Amino acid sequence: MKEKLMFQNAPHVRQSESVVTMMTDVIVALLPIYLMAFFYHGARSLVLGLCGALCCSVLSVLGALLLREKPVPDLTPIITGLIIPLLLPADIPYYVVISACAVAIFVVKIPFGGTGSNLFNPAAVGFASVAICWPELVFRYPATMQAIEIFGESTAKIAQSPAYSLSLGAVPDYNVLDMLLGSAPGPMGATNILVVAACGIFLIVKKAINWITPVSFIVPYALLCLLFPRIGGSPFEALCYELFSGTVVFGAFFMLTEPVTSPKRDFGKLMAGISSAIVVFLFRYFGGFEMGFASALIVMNVFSPIYDAICESVLHVSRHKESFVASIKEETKLRKNKKEEEKPVIRVIEKAKEPEELPEIKTEEISEEEILPEKEPEEIDLSENSEEKEEEALQL
Amino acid sequence: MSFFVKGIFLEQKKEPMLTRSTLVMRQEFEYFDCNFPDVAIDELSREQIIELARLAEIVDESDGKMLWEKLEKSNLGEGGTFIVDAVDDEPYISSQMSIGIHQPEKLALGIELCERVLSPEKTYIAMYRHILDSNFGIPKKIGKYHVKKIGGRYPAESRVHRHIPKGKNSVIIGACAMLHLARAAEESRKMTSCFITVAGDVVKNPRNVEVPIGTTAEKILELCGLTEEPEAIILGGSMTGRAIFEPENEKVGPMTRGIIALARSYGTYSYTCIGCGRCDDACPKALSVCAMRKFADAGKLDMLMQYDVSMCIGCGACSYVCPSRIDISATLLKAKKQIELAKKEGTL
Repeated sequence: MKEKLMFQNAPHVRQSESVVTMMTDVIVALLPIYLMAFFYHGARSLVLGLCGALCCSVLSVLGALLLREKPVPDLTPIITGLIIPLLLPADIPYYVVISACAVAIFVVKIPFGGTGSNLFNPAAVGFASVAICWPELVFRYPATMQAIEIFGESTAKIAQSPAYSLSLGAVPDYNVLDMLLGSAPGPMGATNILVVAACGIFLIVKKAINWITPVSFIVPYALLCLLFPRIGGSPFEALCYELFSGTVVFGAFFMLTEPVTSPKRDFGKLMAGISSAIVVFLFRYFGGFEMGFASALIVMNVFSPIYDAICESVLHVSRHKESFVASIKEETKLRKNKKEEEKPVIRVIEKAKEPEELPEIKTEEISEEEILPEKEPEEIDLSENSEEKEEEALQL
Repeated sequence: MSFFVKGIFLEQKKEPMLTRSTLVMRQEFEYFDCNFPDVAIDELSREQIIELARLAEIVDESDGKMLWEKLEKSNLGEGGTFIVDAVDDEPYISSQMSIGIHQPEKLALGIELCERVLSPEKTYIAMYRHILDSNFGIPKKIGKYHVKKIGGRYPAESRVHRHIPKGKNSVIIGACAMLHLARAAEESRKMTSCFITVAGDVVKNPRNVEVPIGTTAEKILELCGLTEEPEAIILGGSMTGRAIFEPENEKVGPMTRGIIALARSYGTYSYTCIGCGRCDDACPKALSVCAMRKFADAGKLDMLMQYDVSMCIGCGACSYVCPSRIDISATLLKAKKQIELAKKEGTL
């Protein structure tokens, strides 16, 4: 009976969900987006995705070997590698994707201790770094419905993305339906709003991500866009253009919800969502780049530990509610006692003053020096009394 | 939103143990000599009932204290609540509930005797309601006593106190102790046995058994049979119990609630914490578990104190939900112990 017995700590039953199932869910949710990119841009988008995923996993294994650790077979680098190409145009050269992956793994993940310890979203930092290095490549989008050569220089027709038109204050050339279906030019994964939203809802249903984060981001962002439209026309149209252009919806479902860099508690997630909506809006409204999301996300990642600390301090007070209330009551009681003890003393002073002042008016010749020594002993007595009473109260 | 609702939903897996009758292992009962053999049960006085509990050596299985000491100390009086603990919120375990279902008359008699000692204003039996994977209906009344159904997520036992009015006295006594008290009054029988749930996915005949105190785990498992070699044998509940290696040396006591044999241990995992925050959501005491585990790994006892690690009840909900399968609960309990030791030594 006892040959196979193993040691394990309580509890002895565990949830069937694990890191692997969670990450598999995310990868499964990313695949339809790649299919849509294949539909609009041809096979190059799939090769870009493969390149990113391979590159990230190889680099993370290399990093683990450099740190002389056993490589952990988790799927997080694959997700990072799949997200980065989706933020870039479909005709991007491979070296841009590879360098973005290298930054994501070697700058953001490995130096801080690998999976679970990174301070910033790796995909966001990777994208932001290549956006700074090669802005002319990253923000130049090919028109949809044309196959791009898998290797070599792209000869595809270039089109103006709706996000760029919006940043210039112009109404985009595409209607709202085009943008929903993804036929407007833009980052190869972020334009198919309907598919992205469906995949996001799949993740929420599978409980791989929390619904609070995307909702608390998209709703305030939409409200801000309604209140401060960048273009003329009906506010609803402006709202649709703002929401469906750029990487807002994709980021809300796939980047903002990254577990490592987002706050732990629901209230923290709510605060983080609202504040990142404001920051993304400000970046897009006043920023130089048309894609404000990644940079805004990097800024907001810094605040996640602060939101956690706020939640913890609120909960700390709620846990010790009774003792806090008791201590406050005691303090107020002590103060009340003090006041009650002091009040009669003050009356005595007032009564004592009156007869002294009266003779002053009558007899003008009495010098101040004679009155002062009379007052001083009284004050000293009072202070002594009050101190004794304080001590008594404390002892009680 | 899980900001307000804490705890976890567990598959209760209480069938078929709950509906099957209790299996009694062959044993010799011990009897005691009573000073007042002629007094009828209805006429027993307060002192006589306490004497019965003392002679029968009844141990309360919910906290391990002697029943007669508990009865002697407490007199509830007006506004007092007497709660019979038959909650059983852990998966598989149903030894307390099965007493209420299969031996209701004896349980009611035991409660009546205790009521005469404690003289409470309100008496009820607490049972766990959310057994979602079974069609079993919990009775509304056992004898003349109302059954209060404790619902919601695991751990439910800590929520029993919520039904007690504030500032009033209350006593919680386990259902098995009530049964033993009834036996002592009726047959002058000593408490020499305990009620245990034998379950798990490799147990051939899972059911509640009544075995003598001191029986080895191996014997009990032989009584119910095994279909294949287990990888884990657990003494106690599946959430808070202890894995054992030598079933021939491990004996059951009055506080043992179950023996669970599982085909597969959950295994070792090499993943690090990804900071998903599920443990924070699961904690019934609303502790910041994720941060505390990091402090415990780093050995920062002062920070752990600030984060109220002393409030941890060790329910294991955090470990259950962790997708990285980290032993959070064990780590925190160890840190809690370290802090208690450091406080005693005066180093903290």
